[in-house]
Amino acid sequence: MSQISVQQIDTGKPGFLEVVAKNWAALFLLILLVVFSFTGKGFFSLANLQTIVHLSTVLLLLAAAETFVIISGGIDLSVGMVMGFTAILSAKIMQILYKAEMPQGASILIGCAVGLAACIIPGLISGILVARYRVPPFIATLGTWGVTLGVQLKICGGYTIPFLPPKLVSIGNGFLFYVQPGHFFRLFKPPPLIEESQIQEVLRIIPNSFIFLLIVLGVTWHLLRNTQFGQHTYAIGGSMDAAVRAGIDIRRHILRIYVLSSFLAGLAGVFNVFQSGLGNFTRFNAMYELFAIAGVIIGGASLMGGKGRIFGSVTGVLIIGVLETGLLISGVEPFYRFIAVGVILIVAVVIDHLFPDLF
Amino acid sequence: MVKAKLKVFSLLARYWAYLFLILEFIFFASMARGFFSLRVIQNILFFGTPIFLLGTAETFVIITGGIDLSVGFVMGFATVLAAKLVAAFIGLGMGPAAGLALGVGITLIVGLIPGFINGTLVARLDVPPFIATFAMFGISHGVSELLLGGVWAKNLPHLANAIGNGFFLYVVPGKALSLFQRPIVQRGQAVLEIIPNVVVITFFFILIVAFLLKRMKFGHHTYAIGGNIDAAVKAGINVKKHLVRVYMLSSFLATLAGAIYVLKYVTGKGDAGAAFLLDSIVAVVIGGASLYGGKGTVGRTILGCCILATLETGLRVLGVSTFDKFIAVGVILIIAVLIDQFSPELVHKED
Repeated sequence: MSQISVQQIDTGKPGFLEVVAKNWAALFLLILLVVFSFTGKGFFSLANLQTIVHLSTVLLLLAAAETFVIISGGIDLSVGMVMGFTAILSAKIMQILYKAEMPQGASILIGCAVGLAACIIPGLISGILVARYRVPPFIATLGTWGVTLGVQLKICGGYTIPFLPPKLVSIGNGFLFYVQPGHFFRLFKPPPLIEESQIQEVLRIIPNSFIFLLIVLGVTWHLLRNTQFGQHTYAIGGSMDAAVRAGIDIRRHILRIYVLSSFLAGLAGVFNVFQSGLGNFTRFNAMYELFAIAGVIIGGASLMGGKGRIFGSVTGVLIIGVLETGLLISGVEPFYRFIAVGVILIVAVVIDHLFPDLF
Repeated sequence: MVKAKLKVFSLLARYWAYLFLILEFIFFASMARGFFSLRVIQNILFFGTPIFLLGTAETFVIITGGIDLSVGFVMGFATVLAAKLVAAFIGLGMGPAAGLALGVGITLIVGLIPGFINGTLVARLDVPPFIATFAMFGISHGVSELLLGGVWAKNLPHLANAIGNGFFLYVVPGKALSLFQRPIVQRGQAVLEIIPNVVVITFFFILIVAFLLKRMKFGHHTYAIGGNIDAAVKAGINVKKHLVRVYMLSSFLATLAGAIYVLKYVTGKGDAGAAFLLDSIVAVVIGGASLYGGKGTVGRTILGCCILATLETGLRVLGVSTFDKFIAVGVILIIAVLIDQFSPELVHKED
């Protein structure tokens, strides 16, 4: 495969305005962090910043999934429901196995494996519909949206699934380092024989979810940036006809993209089980997919396809996360966040429209 | 022989939605006793009003090649605004009728604003419709929750309930016939209630906009923009202005759905319309419209709405959990699109 080097048309140093416009999302995130540090008491603290990322994990994974689909010029409305479906399925299996007195580790592993295997199915369906039968992605994934929502509610009967192995939560909400300066330093587990009142004083550094996130985002970043898979994705999004002429097997590639998206959504579902210790179904008005799409678009991707970066999507989702927590800590009514996300979204697209050649 | 077969197939592909509705009806009527009755059919229409209105709104936008994700929450916003305004006016000492009329009237006018913003973003700033209306979705949700402050709107006059849950015609068989007012009868005497008021209001407006789409210049321009936007510009249509109007019409119909919700349930709720967003889009697609624009009619959208509304009421009558509804809607949606994809030349021969 001959690497097509992208010609950088460099006309000297980029102007200041250009740099600002190009990185406005990252800049905006910084400004938000600074502003909230002044307005919200305890906002700029290790614990809070870690919590923001920890709570954004699900949305980050969904946004990573959405990034691939959007770059290819499609859209995947089913990610939120696939997440719920996977969470419910794996939780149900864990519940059954744990009740049958299987060891915790085994039941967790089997539950996760089944969930992750099953979460590919909705992706296969929407991928086949989009790639082979040329159904518009919006409609195909809306169809899987409905079906996965119905199936997960059927499995759980409309209730969250309780009584899961307790180890789940200690892994999902655990930290890599537990430190109390001058006293102890431990990996993964809080020191034994510590009293409830003392646990507040222990420094907890790097949630386990960070490591999980870093691995997943790193792999997707690599996939998109350095591999043939990523190149083909950009090519299809840029111009479908050109991609066909370049000899790319479009059908297969698009199918793979939807399967990947579905799989990442499934990972989010499994993580959700670890985080909450429950099997949560996705409520039909939860709108995860729309917030994930908002993150991707704020991060500089275009719904027309061919544009977008994992790093951008991460920035976009973090803006939403910081806004949510920041407004809450600053004592603003939480409903403003819907308005704020809407306004930022419009600003993002208008900036994209005013400086079309920057990204 | 082959030709005849082809003809049958083509007819089937074109009219499958009608056939589906009839089969659906026969299925439910045979499964549930008393399904095929005046009362149940009226119930389907009564509970279907938001789907009918939002579906019609979505039809216009989808014909232009756009999409309006904000209809659900604009409807919710309208319920909140109308409820709050009516309660405020009555608190100021107005009569229930005047307060209700003024509150709903102002809401219908304010309801044009989200559409105006949507349209301006889409037409003048080139924001993709998906994003512009999604942003409006968030904004209207936020504003309505702020107006509510966590409590559903209350203190609405009893008149709202009388209108919203009243019927157009009351018939006492063989004796009396009364418009709007329920006749006073002896206990045990049957009163036939014919056509709920809200259904009358809904279809009054739907007929107007259907006429607008089918016969007026407004409709021709809408199809022209969806068919080929460049050609529409060259033909001298003021595309930007027209798009703004289409989005305003869409948000007006959503607001109307909100006002009707207030009459029906005598309260205002921020997420009142959230559940109907999916239904409205699915109804339009079942009705044979294309998301790429230029195709679709109000009549066929109403057919799609009827399929969904019948499904919802039917499953409820059967006592099946509503979870199955989502599966059914998803499957119907996929079938509708597949039929459209497999036989475009058969389905759209006349277009």
